[in-house]
Amino acid sequence: MEDAIPIVAFDKVAKTYPNGTVALSDASFGIRKGSIHAICGENGAGKSTLMKILFGLESPSAGQVMLDGAAVNTVTPDFAGRHGIGMVHQHFSLVPSLTVVENIILGHEPKRGVLIDARRARDEVIALARRYELDVPPDARIETLSIAAQQKVEILKALSRETRLLILDEPTAVLSPPEIEELFSRLRDLRDSGLTILFISHKLHEVRALADTVTVLRAGQVVDTCPLAEVSDAEITRMVMGRDVDVSRRQRQAANAPVLLELKNVSTAGNDPADRLTDISLTIRADEIVGVAGVDGSGQRGLAAVLSGLMALSTGTISFAGTDMTRASTAQWRRAGLAYLPADRFTQGGTPALSLMENAIAGTDGDPAIQWGPFLRRGAIRSRVQAMVREFAVRTRGIGERLDSLSGGNAQKLIAARELAGAPKLLLADQPTRGIDVASAAFLHGRIDAVARGGAAVLLITADLDELLRLADRVIVLFNGRIVADLPNKTDLTPAALGPYMLGLETAA
Amino acid sequence: MMRSILAGLTEFALTLVVVAAVILAVLVPVALSQPDAGEVLRLFLLGPFGTMRHVGNILELATPTMLTGLAATLIFRAGSFNLGIEGSFFVGGIAATAAALLLPLTGFIAAPTAIIVGALFGSLACMVPGYLKVRFGASEMVNSLVLNFAFLYAGVFILNYFLRDPNAGALMSYRLPADFGLDRIMQGTRLHTGVIVAFAACIIGGIWLYGTRGGLNLRIVGLGPGFAQHLGLNTSALIMRAQIAGGLIAGMAGAIEVLGLYNRFSWVALPGHGWTGITVAILARENPFLVIPAALFLAYLQVGGDMLARNLAVPSEVVGLVTAAIMLAVTATAIFRHPAFLRLIRDIKGEEQAA
Repeated sequence: MEDAIPIVAFDKVAKTYPNGTVALSDASFGIRKGSIHAICGENGAGKSTLMKILFGLESPSAGQVMLDGAAVNTVTPDFAGRHGIGMVHQHFSLVPSLTVVENIILGHEPKRGVLIDARRARDEVIALARRYELDVPPDARIETLSIAAQQKVEILKALSRETRLLILDEPTAVLSPPEIEELFSRLRDLRDSGLTILFISHKLHEVRALADTVTVLRAGQVVDTCPLAEVSDAEITRMVMGRDVDVSRRQRQAANAPVLLELKNVSTAGNDPADRLTDISLTIRADEIVGVAGVDGSGQRGLAAVLSGLMALSTGTISFAGTDMTRASTAQWRRAGLAYLPADRFTQGGTPALSLMENAIAGTDGDPAIQWGPFLRRGAIRSRVQAMVREFAVRTRGIGERLDSLSGGNAQKLIAARELAGAPKLLLADQPTRGIDVASAAFLHGRIDAVARGGAAVLLITADLDELLRLADRVIVLFNGRIVADLPNKTDLTPAALGPYMLGLETAA
Repeated sequence: MMRSILAGLTEFALTLVVVAAVILAVLVPVALSQPDAGEVLRLFLLGPFGTMRHVGNILELATPTMLTGLAATLIFRAGSFNLGIEGSFFVGGIAATAAALLLPLTGFIAAPTAIIVGALFGSLACMVPGYLKVRFGASEMVNSLVLNFAFLYAGVFILNYFLRDPNAGALMSYRLPADFGLDRIMQGTRLHTGVIVAFAACIIGGIWLYGTRGGLNLRIVGLGPGFAQHLGLNTSALIMRAQIAGGLIAGMAGAIEVLGLYNRFSWVALPGHGWTGITVAILARENPFLVIPAALFLAYLQVGGDMLARNLAVPSEVVGLVTAAIMLAVTATAIFRHPAFLRLIRDIKGEEQAA
C-alpha cells in the first residue's frame, strides 16, 4: 500500500488572488486510495481554496494537481463529476421543496426522450441507497427531513455519479453525538468498500476518531502530513495554531449572584418544532452561563426568539432584572440590555449587501458620538469601526467593503463586536462559533466569559458540546420543546453523558 | 475604497456598452429603411443637443420623472413594490387643480399651497396599499395596481361633476388662476421652476438615504428584514413612512406637472409618469443621486424619438421600442452576475491593480 500511486496528489500548488492575497503556497501532499484523509487548519489557512482547486472551481497559479499519478487540468467543465469527485458542503445545497429522488438526480437526470424517466430515477436512487446502506425515504420532501437525514441525502447525491473520492466539509457541525457516531460508522464502511474520503474539520477529537492520515495547513502552507497513529493531539494543535492553546473550563466567580432572568411555565405555539416550547421554567443568575444542549430543532430557536421579543408566548411569564418582560418587543429587550449573537449571521446578524461600517453601527440610533442630529458622522463612525475591527481581530479588506466579503468567522467577530459593545445584561449566543477556527473561537469564548463576569446572564445555545462544557456553568437539555435535564457542569459531565437526554431517552429535570 | 470605485466604474462602463449595443441593434434596421440612414442616427443621438430649446425639452420631460423616480426609489428601498406612485401622481395633479380653483389664494403662497395639497392627497394612493401590506400582509403590488384605477376614475368623476368647465370643448377643468402657475425659466420652452425642485429633491433624497440614521435604517429594512427585526427596529413604521414619503413626492410631482405646464387640468387617463418613475428608479439602481441622470437619459431618448417622428417618416413607437429594449438590457442584472462577466470584471480589476 505504501508505494501505491495516490488517488490525488497536490504538487507545489500555489494560489495568489488578483488582489494579492496568498491563499496557498507550495502545497504538496498525496491522498492514499481507500483511506480517510483529514485536513485540519484554521479559517483562512487555505482549506477551502485547496478544495476549490480540487473541485475545479479555481485554477492554481502554480503547481499541479495529479489524479492517479497523471497531471490534470481541473478547470474544465464538469471536471469533478467526470472524475468521480463528490463533495458535501457545510451548507447543504438541497432544494427544500423537492423530494429526495429529485434532489439526488438533479443535474444528471435519467431521460426518456426529453422527459425525465421518473421510475428509473427512483429505482436508481433506491439502489444507490441500498448499495451504500444510507437509508433515506425516496419520496419525502427535503424540508420534512431531519438535518441528519438531509445530510445522508447530500452524501448520496455526492456518491451518485460513480464517485471515487468523497469530500466532506465540516460534516458534524449540525449533528448530535449519536448522529455523529452513526455518520462515522457509515463513513468507515464506505472506506472499507474502497471509497477515498477527504474530511475537513476543526475538531481534533473527530479527526482522531475517524481519519487515518492528517494534513495540517497553516497560513496557506502544508505544515505536515502524517498518519494519525504517529502524532499526539497536542502536536496537531500546535501545528494548527503555531502555538499551544488553553482549553480549560471557565471558572465562575460566585455561585449565589442574584437571579436576573426568570421564565415561568413558558409555552409557545409554532408550526415548526424548532419554535415550539412547552412549559419551560428557567432561571439565570448574573455571572452565570447556562448552556442549552439538544438535537437541532428541539426548541432552541423558540427559546432565543421569546427572549428577544421575536415571538409571542402563548402562556407563561418572563421577567428580567425585576421587570416583567412577558410581552416585551425586541426594542424593549434591547433597552433592557440584550445582546444577541444569532445563529444565522447573514440574515439576522447582519445584512450582506451593506458595508462593514453600516453593519457595525446598525441599531445604535441616537448615539451622539457618531450622530449629529439625524446625520451620521462619517469620520467618527470610521474610527469607531476601525477600532472594533482591530479589537476583535476581524480580517477585512477594508471597512467599506460589503459584509459578505468576510468569511463566516470574521463576519461573526464583527457582529460580536457590535453586540458586545457597551455592557450587555443578557447575552443570547446561538451557535456563536459554528464553523469558526480554533483561535477565533477561543477569542469569542473569552469575550462571552468576560460578558458573564461583567454581571450578565448568558444563554449559550450550541451544538458543539465541547464548547458547551467549556463555557457553561449549568447545562439544560431540550427535547421536543421541553427541558428534559438541568445539570450543573461538573468535571464528570461529558458529551457522552448528554447523549441520552438529547435523544429523549432519559430525563433529569 | 479605490477598488470599489474601480468596480463601480467597470460596471457603469459595461452598462454603457450594453445600452449602445441595444440602441444600435434596434435603431440601425430602422435607419436602413430610410433614404438617409445617417440622418436618422444623427437626429436621434445628437438632435436633442442641437438647440437650447431641445435641451429645455429634455429637462422639462425629466422633471416629473425625477420626482416619481425618487418616490419609487424610497418605496423600493423599504423592500416593498408599491406601484401606487402612478395613482399618487394623478391624484396630486387633480388635487392641486381643485385647490387652485377652490382656494381664494393669490400671490406667492398660491402655487406652493396647491402643491402641498396635491402632495397630501397624492400620498393617499401609496398609503392605502402600504397600510394594507403592513397591517394585513396583503400584496401591495396587486392592491396598488388596482387602486390606481380606482383613484383615476374617482378623479375623473370629480373633474366631471365639480371642476369641469362646460364652455370648454372637451372634458377639462376651469382655467387655473395665473397666480397658481409656476414661473417659466427658459425662453422658448415650457421649462418651469419645478425642475429646480426636482433636482433639489433628488440630492436631498440621496443625502438622506446615505448620510442619515433614518436612511440607514430604511436600507436595513429593505435589504435585511430579518436583521432589522433582530436590531429591534420598528419595521412596520419604517415601511409605512417610506410609502407616505414616496406618495407625498409623487403627489407633489403631479401637482408640479399640472401647475407648471398647463392652464387647465385635462387628464382622463393615467399620464404614465409614475410608471416611468419606476423605470427610472430601476435604471438608477435605487440610488437617488443616480435618479437625476437616469431620468435625463430617458427624457433624452424620448426627445430624440419625437424628433425622428416629427422630421422623418419614422413611427414614434420606435422610440418606445428602443427604450423598452434598453430597459430590458440594463435591468437584466442577471447579466452582470453571469460568471463570464464577473471573470471579465475580475481580470480588468487585476490588470488595473497590476498597473
